[in-house]
Amino acid sequence: MSTRLARALPYALVGLASAYLYYVAAHIEYEHRAGTLGPDFWPKLVLALAIAVCLFEIARVALSGGRGAVGEIAQLAERAAPGEEAPAPPPESLPRLAAGIALTALYVWLLGPLGFFCATVPYLAAFVVLGGYRRRGVVAAVSGLGTLLMMFFFMKVVYVSLPLGEGAFREVTLFLMRTMGIR
Amino acid sequence: MVEIFQNLGHGFVQLLEPVNLLSLGVGLVFGLLVAVLPGLTLVMGVVLALPFTYSMAITPSIILLTAMYVSGTYAGAWTSILFRVPGEPMDVPLLWDGYTMARRGRAAKALGWTLAAALFGGLCTATAMVMLAQPVAKIALTFSTAEYFALIFFGLTSVVSLGGASLANGLISLFAGLMLATVGVDDTYGSYRFTFGVPILRDGIDYLVVMVGAFGLGEVFMRMGQGFKSAPLESVDKVSTQLPTLREAWAVRSTFVRGTLLGIVVGIVPGAGATVASFLSYGVESQYGRRRHELGNGIPDGIVAPQTAATASVGGAMIPLITMGIPGSGATAIILGAFMLHGLQPGAQVFETSSHIVYAVFASVFAAVIGMCVIGYLATRTLVRVLEFPEVIISAYVVMCCILGAFAARNSITDVWLIVVFGVVGYLCDRFRFPIAPLVLGVILGPIAETNFMTTMISYDNDWTVLFTRPISGVIMFLAIATLVYPFVRWLRRLRRAARGALI
Repeated sequence: MSTRLARALPYALVGLASAYLYYVAAHIEYEHRAGTLGPDFWPKLVLALAIAVCLFEIARVALSGGRGAVGEIAQLAERAAPGEEAPAPPPESLPRLAAGIALTALYVWLLGPLGFFCATVPYLAAFVVLGGYRRRGVVAAVSGLGTLLMMFFFMKVVYVSLPLGEGAFREVTLFLMRTMGIR
Repeated sequence: MVEIFQNLGHGFVQLLEPVNLLSLGVGLVFGLLVAVLPGLTLVMGVVLALPFTYSMAITPSIILLTAMYVSGTYAGAWTSILFRVPGEPMDVPLLWDGYTMARRGRAAKALGWTLAAALFGGLCTATAMVMLAQPVAKIALTFSTAEYFALIFFGLTSVVSLGGASLANGLISLFAGLMLATVGVDDTYGSYRFTFGVPILRDGIDYLVVMVGAFGLGEVFMRMGQGFKSAPLESVDKVSTQLPTLREAWAVRSTFVRGTLLGIVVGIVPGAGATVASFLSYGVESQYGRRRHELGNGIPDGIVAPQTAATASVGGAMIPLITMGIPGSGATAIILGAFMLHGLQPGAQVFETSSHIVYAVFASVFAAVIGMCVIGYLATRTLVRVLEFPEVIISAYVVMCCILGAFAARNSITDVWLIVVFGVVGYLCDRFRFPIAPLVLGVILGPIAETNFMTTMISYDNDWTVLFTRPISGVIMFLAIATLVYPFVRWLRRLRRAARGALI
């Protein structure tokens, strides 16, 4: 029973979210013109279909518990795969994954105040170390030289205005830009 | 006909300009490298290359991305065959006969069959693309919004019913994509939808942000969780390519032709790309092939079928892109984005307004097919060595390319936040087996579908039956519904069989 509940849970959550969005769609403000469907029609149609699919899946899981309809590729892969399957993915480390996501979010948060160079060098180094790579020289080259190369390419060649940072960090970025001939 | 050949000739002349040749070469090499690396998919590679084209002229930009697309359908086969590591999802069928052939000491021959299949499929699809594009554009000029909506509807239903392990999950992904596409100001009525008072959402959510986040960052997060690793390359020094003889190739001629035709047709269907083509072709071979009972034992038919179809899907996917502005695959969606970033909207009129660009791109597909095969023949050993490079370092730069690509489009940190959010969404989709392709295609095709649907409703007094009563749109709509209903019918039949078995 608990397995079935766990399998039905994602559909219940998606169904509830769709129902909430349907409510939001029903309150979209617009100037109604006679004979027109209005801007809420399309999203309501999509959400109604999403709710219908979720209800169908919940009912299917509750009643049969078996596998639902599958796509053609999955069907063919099952039927045609004679012996050699793709290797199974290794087990997952949730702490490392969470750290990776948090590190990336922290980087994006610091990108504005620290500027591209000062935020990217530590981010790249931390990312590579978190990923399990420990050769210090390579980590330093990948983060330091790699960041300078990207900065040069994107600012000088592609003309992207990367974040400069604030205060002292801005001075560091401007110094590097002057050194690399970026205006 | 003569006009087409003349224009193609001009296209080849344009291609000889140094900047275009350089773009072609760089695109080919990067496409091959991206396909070899298991952590980087073809679509991801094209996404990551997009920001590098911002400051380029339109022709070399499109040539670069197209060359990556073409060569990306080929090189993943090498690692499937040699190391049992599919470089791309489309290369999984190559494990069944390609790797088996290699394990029996005929790796060079397996690589040779792959090369021959990619060359044949590639040249045929390039020819079909050139011959069909202009007539299709002329037909597309007669289409009304009802036909356009029906075509997109068909694309969306086919991507759900062909791919994925669960039809329901595919549909939910698709609906999520369609909903994301509604965020912002509505095109027809000008009202705000689902902005929740957040200013940046008023401009809508750019599909490139969703693609970069879901395909790029999502994959990196998944690999971060699973732990980065490099493939073992003990036997790489012995790698060589042995082409099949003409007599050997003639013996599997029907597989070459079947795979190519299937690839082109699947490519034309909006939404279905090289992966669908590759699997379907192997499936068709396993049902109708002359040596279907030997498939899986390392026979050439099992290599030729998926590889011809994968490469042949490229030209097919370019046809709806160029002639109707409808991307036929994930990679063509990025190429569409590149066209639009450079101020050119592909569609039926493009042959009138910008035929020189279109034919230069067509010429580049021919050149890319030949180029990738030459590089593949000479440099497989060198290129697969990229697998020795630590995956974590490549992934770190993938993240940087994703972030810079998202930032460069509008110089907005909010877009960078959005790709991180969609990166997490992409990871969660993968983790809980909700396919990403329908989500992304929903975001891309959603606005086009909605605009065409609403315009049809306005034009025909909200009479939705017009979608079924107009001959062309009616046929396409019925095909689309049949595509969607068929897996359910099959499921119900399976249930009934199981119930009958239980009773016995």
